[in-house]
Amino acid sequence: MNKSRLAVVATLLALCGAGVSAHHSAQQFDFTKTASMSGIVKRFQAINPHMRLVLAVTDAKGTREVAFEGHSTNNMYRAGYRDGMIKVGDKITVYVAPLRDGSEGGYVTAASTADGKRFGAQSRAEQEAERAKAEGRK
Amino acid sequence: MHRRWRRAAQGLAAAGVFAGLGIVANAQQPDFTGVWTTYTEPAPAGGRAAGAGGGGGRGAGPALPLTPEAQRKIAEYQALIKGTGDTPGGFCLGTGMPGSMLGSGGYPMEIIQRPNQITIVYEAHNEVRRVYLADRIVPEADRLPGRNGHSTARWEGDTLVVETTNLIEQVDQRYAHSEKAKIVERYRMTKGAKGERVLVAEMTMTDPVFYKEPVKAEKKWAEVPNGHLLPYECAEEAWNIHLEQLAEKAKSKK
Repeated sequence: MNKSRLAVVATLLALCGAGVSAHHSAQQFDFTKTASMSGIVKRFQAINPHMRLVLAVTDAKGTREVAFEGHSTNNMYRAGYRDGMIKVGDKITVYVAPLRDGSEGGYVTAASTADGKRFGAQSRAEQEAERAKAEGRK
Repeated sequence: MHRRWRRAAQGLAAAGVFAGLGIVANAQQPDFTGVWTTYTEPAPAGGRAAGAGGGGGRGAGPALPLTPEAQRKIAEYQALIKGTGDTPGGFCLGTGMPGSMLGSGGYPMEIIQRPNQITIVYEAHNEVRRVYLADRIVPEADRLPGRNGHSTARWEGDTLVVETTNLIEQVDQRYAHSEKAKIVERYRMTKGAKGERVLVAEMTMTDPVFYKEPVKAEKKWAEVPNGHLLPYECAEEAWNIHLEQLAEKAKSKK
């Protein structure tokens, strides 16, 4: 293998390596549960295949940074997300499928922004209300 | 402009102008141009809506008539990724046929139809299929194999029949297949429960290496009026991480 080809392979391997660390398994999240957590946005990336978010959370346990991943930007867009809705420094609330091992973080399925706008998947209560409306129930 | 061109092309097609190019065109042929998303059948009273999936990506479904060789290869792959949750999509790789045409991870697709080429863009991973007709069909010797293979098409009345070959072996999707697979799709336009345009895609895959008999699946797509696909730059994160690593390395050298 010549040097330039070796360099290309090395670069690809480096990118793949980054990919491995970047894309965690969805199996680690419990999608049958929803938890919520509020905090100050330290970092936010609206990207595919999964959004990235770091919140500074302050509660009885103290203040620490908690990392999340979540639905793709495209899926979030179709569920109400628009560019600029989340900025570093905003106080937001995220709704997540928690990690199965009990550690902090999770998979963001919805969020409420600093000015109270919500985007993302509907909660079970919202789904039920919509179904009831469609079926003419109260 | 685009619509004007389309109308003009339809007019020419109706007039049989493309016949001289070997393209059988007539007014029967529907225009599939547009953005399409998964069609969901309306829920029966008191019940839940049933999707018209195809489930081309991964997940449970009816048992497939796999040959022992296919079973062995799939089992090896499953053992390799067990516990990792790794998928091609997690590495910014498109699903490949037939997973792409059977749903592409639930994302929409856009069809751009010209008389001798139909281009299908799946939003997820910007996966693209080019379906060639008549004089656009690439000679067998000049084709390169790939996850979406090489697709040729012909019209049978109002039905577009697409044949895909030149595939590579793929064990990383629900409908695994060997490089010998041949996939025939039949596209036709119907109406949904609300009168909306619904595109029905019937798929038959034959593969003497992986399947004991042909495998069939169906996918229904609903038109998204004036719809748009979103950008899908999946590899951006890996690139950003790489740059961060380079920056860290540069900092540590100082």
